[in-house]
Amino acid sequence: MQNTSSTEQIEQDVLAAMSRPSRCYLACIFFAGLVFLGGMALWSRQIALGMGVAGISHPVGWGVYITDFVFWVGIAHSGTLISAVLYIFRARFRTSFNRAAEAMTIFALMVAGLFPLIHLGRVWLAYFLFPYPNQRQLWVNFRSPLVWDVFAVSTYMLVSLVFFFVGLVPDLAIVARRRPGFVGKIYRIASLGWVGNSQQWRHYTKLYFFLAAFATPLVASVHSIVSWDFAVSIVPGWHTTIFAPYFVAGAILSGTAMVITLVIPMRRLLRLETYIPISHIESIAKILLLTSLIVGFAYVVEQGLAFYSGNLYEMEQFRFRALGDYRLLFWIMVSCNAILPLTLFVGRLRRNLAYLFILSLLVNVGMWLERFVIVVTSLARDFDPYAWGNYTPSLTEIGITAGSFGLFFLLFLLFIKILPVLSITELKER
Amino acid sequence: MAQQLFFDDQQTFLQQLEQLLKNGTPSEQLDVRTPYHLSEVDSLLGQPPSKLPLFALGGALAGFGGGFLLAALTSLDWPVITGGKPIVAVPAFLLIGYLMTILIGSLASFAGFLILARLPQVDALLKEQDFDSRFIITIANEVAPCTTPN
Repeated sequence: MQNTSSTEQIEQDVLAAMSRPSRCYLACIFFAGLVFLGGMALWSRQIALGMGVAGISHPVGWGVYITDFVFWVGIAHSGTLISAVLYIFRARFRTSFNRAAEAMTIFALMVAGLFPLIHLGRVWLAYFLFPYPNQRQLWVNFRSPLVWDVFAVSTYMLVSLVFFFVGLVPDLAIVARRRPGFVGKIYRIASLGWVGNSQQWRHYTKLYFFLAAFATPLVASVHSIVSWDFAVSIVPGWHTTIFAPYFVAGAILSGTAMVITLVIPMRRLLRLETYIPISHIESIAKILLLTSLIVGFAYVVEQGLAFYSGNLYEMEQFRFRALGDYRLLFWIMVSCNAILPLTLFVGRLRRNLAYLFILSLLVNVGMWLERFVIVVTSLARDFDPYAWGNYTPSLTEIGITAGSFGLFFLLFLLFIKILPVLSITELKER
Repeated sequence: MAQQLFFDDQQTFLQQLEQLLKNGTPSEQLDVRTPYHLSEVDSLLGQPPSKLPLFALGGALAGFGGGFLLAALTSLDWPVITGGKPIVAVPAFLLIGYLMTILIGSLASFAGFLILARLPQVDALLKEQDFDSRFIITIANEVAPCTTPN
């Protein structure tokens, strides 16, 4: 609860971030846009020349594109965790991160949604994935995990969009009041004519709670369903019951790391130190530590299950992961995701922003490698030694992956200049 | 003619609202605007519980039924056995039902909110009414306020 002078100050401080862009900001936009366009050019080339320009082939038919898909869906996860789950638990530190995390969720899902299309090759047939009455009289196979994935990710995208928009409505009305002229009119229309009367607030708080309640199970279910793309098959290294919780914990770990990667520079560049105090960043760092412990535990259990099973193929698969051709990637993954985050047990390091920023980058690298190791090593060493074969990503795949990062950061940079990066209404309430 | 009272402070605003209602001003004549939600206002104005849960429940049930039936009926329409699973594979189809519960439940809640909160509010859009950072009580007909507003 605040008086008007302090609420005015909150509005001014948060909306100051939306002021005229600096040269540094424009340079970042230019660079991100360039990387994105480079990725798009390579995708166009792949469409023109065919999938041969990608490194995926027999036996590794799923490579970097599926790695990227799983990685970006994982990044999207902590947005929902921070906004929905922490809202239900009334965690006060969520107000420092929820808007940025929700935006991150949507942008990450937009990027993730591109990868099944890129991987398809014949992207113009993507609509086959959706059930609709058609002349072929064929329907999609609802018993396939790939179709569950289409439904899970589409649901996640739509629910996240609604949740993001609903959270924005009162803030858009504030921007409309403070922005004169045509721009203000656009914000006013986007705010649906919100005036904050008792009737609107009464239904609004109810809606926000319901959306949070609907979104909360998605935190657990979406990445579980993504994990079943692998676990429902019989491929050694994939066919395991631990995959769903293991993937969910990994998704929250990578998403939390990305929130830290985005929020620490944003806090400094937009001068939001008052509203994003170090104590709140420390709380996020604790979530990172907790999920890292779960992921580390899952790594050990996974190895244990393989060797305890007595199954030759499983045992060989896990030996190959740790000691085979991809061992370097495996050990970087273990170091970044399970060993380095243990340093966060030290309180001083949790409050050291430079350290946290670097650690979050390393966790992002580790989590991308985790998906690569899972996807590629299992296919490279299947049941039949005659069909074994290693995979190296082609320049096209690497370029498209870089382009996806360009798109993600481009969207996030545009977001911080177009929409309030913190929930003004919730800050006033706090 | 309507009279507007503006408050900078939440406490004074709530006291004034309480006083107005005690003095017999009907709550229907009051338009109360706040910069954030105050549950005290709902209690003072005697607002009935929101009907939004009905939209959420209706949407969730329709989503579950619709999702399961979509999967089951399309499989029966072209009955091909894949992976040795039954044509109506209940565990797999429950998953579609579960996802559609969340999707349609959320969308129905949002639609319900727009209906109940009367949004988009065309009047506010045309008259360019602002979402003020102050607490405001508008008394529809001329009713003398009990104290001077600050």
